[in-house]
Amino acid sequence: MATLLKYVGRSYPAPDALGKISGAVVYGSDLRLPGMLYAQLVLSPHAHATVGPIATTKALSVPGVVGVYSCHNTPRTQYCRYRIVPGQAGCIDDETLFASTARFVGDRVAAVVAASLTAAREAARLIEVIYTELPPVLSAEAALEPGAALVHPGGNLVHEFDHATCDPAALPAGAVTTRTIVRTQMLHHAAIEPHTCLANVDASGKLTIWSPCQSVYGARTVVADLLGLPYNKVRVVKVPTGGSFGGKQEFILEPVTAYLAMQTGRPVCLTLDREQCIRATMVRPEQRSVVRSAAGADGLLLDFEIETLLAAGAYASSSPDYAEAMAHKLTRLYRVRRYRHRGCVAYTTAPVAGGMRGWGAPDIATCAEIHMDQLARQLGIDPFDVRMRNLVHPGDIDPVTGSSVGEARVRECLERGAEAFGWRARVAVPVGLGRIRKAVGLACGAHKNGMLSDAFPESTTMTLKMNEDGSLDLNASIHEVGAGSVAMLRTIIAEELDVPPAMISAREADSETSPYDFGCFGSRMTYVCGASARALAAKLRACLIEAAAELLEVSPKVLEATNSRVQHIGVEDSGLSYPQIVQSSRMRLARDMIVTHTYKGTSNPGSYSVQFAEVEVDVLTGLARVTEVLTAVDIGRAINREMVEGQCRGAIQAGIGSALCEEVAMDGAGRAGTGGFKNYHLVNAADMPPVTVLLIEHDGDDGPYGAKSVGEIATVPTAAAIVNAVNRALGTAMTTLPLTPERIVAALGETVETGERDAP
Amino acid sequence: MILNTVVNRTEVKLDIAPDTRLIDVLRNALALTGTKEGCAEGECGACTVLIDGVAVNACLVLAAQVQGKSVVTVEGLSTAGQPNALQRKFIELGAVQCGYCTPGMLMSATALLACNRKPSRAQIRQVLAGNLCRCTGYAAIVEAVAAAADEQDGQT
Repeated sequence: MATLLKYVGRSYPAPDALGKISGAVVYGSDLRLPGMLYAQLVLSPHAHATVGPIATTKALSVPGVVGVYSCHNTPRTQYCRYRIVPGQAGCIDDETLFASTARFVGDRVAAVVAASLTAAREAARLIEVIYTELPPVLSAEAALEPGAALVHPGGNLVHEFDHATCDPAALPAGAVTTRTIVRTQMLHHAAIEPHTCLANVDASGKLTIWSPCQSVYGARTVVADLLGLPYNKVRVVKVPTGGSFGGKQEFILEPVTAYLAMQTGRPVCLTLDREQCIRATMVRPEQRSVVRSAAGADGLLLDFEIETLLAAGAYASSSPDYAEAMAHKLTRLYRVRRYRHRGCVAYTTAPVAGGMRGWGAPDIATCAEIHMDQLARQLGIDPFDVRMRNLVHPGDIDPVTGSSVGEARVRECLERGAEAFGWRARVAVPVGLGRIRKAVGLACGAHKNGMLSDAFPESTTMTLKMNEDGSLDLNASIHEVGAGSVAMLRTIIAEELDVPPAMISAREADSETSPYDFGCFGSRMTYVCGASARALAAKLRACLIEAAAELLEVSPKVLEATNSRVQHIGVEDSGLSYPQIVQSSRMRLARDMIVTHTYKGTSNPGSYSVQFAEVEVDVLTGLARVTEVLTAVDIGRAINREMVEGQCRGAIQAGIGSALCEEVAMDGAGRAGTGGFKNYHLVNAADMPPVTVLLIEHDGDDGPYGAKSVGEIATVPTAAAIVNAVNRALGTAMTTLPLTPERIVAALGETVETGERDAP
Repeated sequence: MILNTVVNRTEVKLDIAPDTRLIDVLRNALALTGTKEGCAEGECGACTVLIDGVAVNACLVLAAQVQGKSVVTVEGLSTAGQPNALQRKFIELGAVQCGYCTPGMLMSATALLACNRKPSRAQIRQVLAGNLCRCTGYAAIVEAVAAAADEQDGQT
């Protein structure tokens, strides 16, 4: 970095940390409004059934019950919970407020609204629904078989694609082909805060929704369109979020809560319990990918072909886009002669699939990186070498998107990570034949920085105002989900204007008053919104210098903004302080120090992480334990160092779970066997291994001070690194996640799967 | 039934249904919403409070069980609005991200530090095993508890 950074790169606590450690921060489910009613959902106990008559007399007789709503007395309008932008391409309107055909265990069949939560729960229990069961559709494979029951009348095929970068070419002599089938499971986001929403209609007819969502404007689009309201009569206010990880990015509770508030004319609060969160919100999709590669005998990748079959669950929501996104990851990671990705998305009678921390990148990296280890094994070379021979270089063009991978430092992540982890020495240690087998594994991952593509122009708008005392108000549609967005934006503005970060207040999104932003997803907060904040602050700095020049009657060229003042270049304490400029420009120049800026995305380079894991596997019990992880992250620049490290560690906590123990499992009737944290195991403090975070910092990309995304990429390679370590420890070739003790014990009895070597 | 208890050093007398959970009395009747509900089955620990100094999940305890006892919630940790050493360390060492698990973490750690003034990292991890966090990967939380113990140790 040419200039010394004063604030960027240090560590800052969350600006509302004081409220969080004292219990003072008011989350969605803490809100209480006068006359507030409580809603309770009645969810389908069947995977697939038509909803017949619903007996509500008993429920309505419970004291305090205001109403019961179901498909029999509510609009049948279909909508898409995933739509952010009106008219958004790829959105399929297939969901209704209440199902007339229940399509998964957990589908919304009815809701009770009552004066107390106790009454609402009691009444919900008393609702009797007559169901006619239909055959369940339990997997994407089953969904596409001839004669499968139809989840929706139009058929079970939601979306398919076939993308190839070029035509196939003959393989050279000695080429090695490898084929791997990897299955990844449904996962629960497991934000500790359950989903919640509060809605109210005021006397003017304006609907206000308080939600810990990831996009107030997206919530407004879905709710206003569904209920036929003008956009300026729907106000969505972002409230503090107790974790999301993508689980609150789709508008699951907002439509139904808003509808109930409109119907009752009272504030209505809807909070799910954990079981409902697991079954009835969204899950990371279950998918199966067949990975086939052809490589030269030297390990250079020639062809990479993937066929992905993804279960959308009961409603399409984001699954078509999600599956397509999976096809946009690997050519940012590896140079290949030819890449082909075929995808198929099918409805199933299962929980609705959607984005979870990484938007398809962890899923496809898990498939590809388990495959790469099998390729290395087949070639008889170190997993490190097979990757180093194929990883992209800075400035490479991704053949799928046609855009540059930017200052991609994934090779540096691999090299420096391997050195810090001691890979060469540790991979050479024999596993041994004892009861506890110890081994190491590694994996690489690629992700993105925002949503810029040929089809999607990235942008965001922000306003920054300086007050008479030099304090600042940032007005932007910020969605803080616990990942440090507010602190990141404050730090960047502080750096650009040279004011202490504490001088800057930044509140969260409110669709009535905040400028437009798409929302907090797509790894766009730092790269796009952070860059926007920097440009915005630079614009205000120029205004301050211009005003000071007028007030001082000098050329702006002789002035600089530094240390909360505009001074003559290099002359300390000369010129005017920021408060003096704001006060004087208002009273003498009739000018306000307020700027608005619309930032337009300019690039979408790759984000990278390479991870190294050590595992110990008990061959008697099949229990695998992760004992150490090192993550090397191509961060570009850490804005808030401690938060970046926290993001990396949290991402690994989730990745370990996805590799070894987390799964939303279904039984043969389509019931989620997983009903709570008692049988959905998160890695806890005692089981969490030590994690070393290695940040690769450099200039060269368009993010603020070179910064790139971290929250999603940090979890992309974790599961594969662990699976590769377990397979190395046991000499197995397990490819179905999670690696539960049952699966490990079963695999120990099987022979190792190998690929075929092509005849010369 | 009439519940007589002490919450955050203040005597409380409430008329409650006998089957009311402690968490509901705290959050609804007393508006102490710092105690969070994450799972309602004693797995996540977000609702951890102290009953006579012992860390318990308020979702698994009936309010009637605190009759004549003393309850401390996260709101009771600060004195005169000032965070205590443990709370300060949580802020300083980046142990707070989304913050939803934070109250429970603080209460479990408070119970630990009251009976073990110099816990090892392993003991801290073991005590916090019943408090789930999805954001931090726990490291900063464990370090904050250890740092608070060091500070507490330095004062005696």
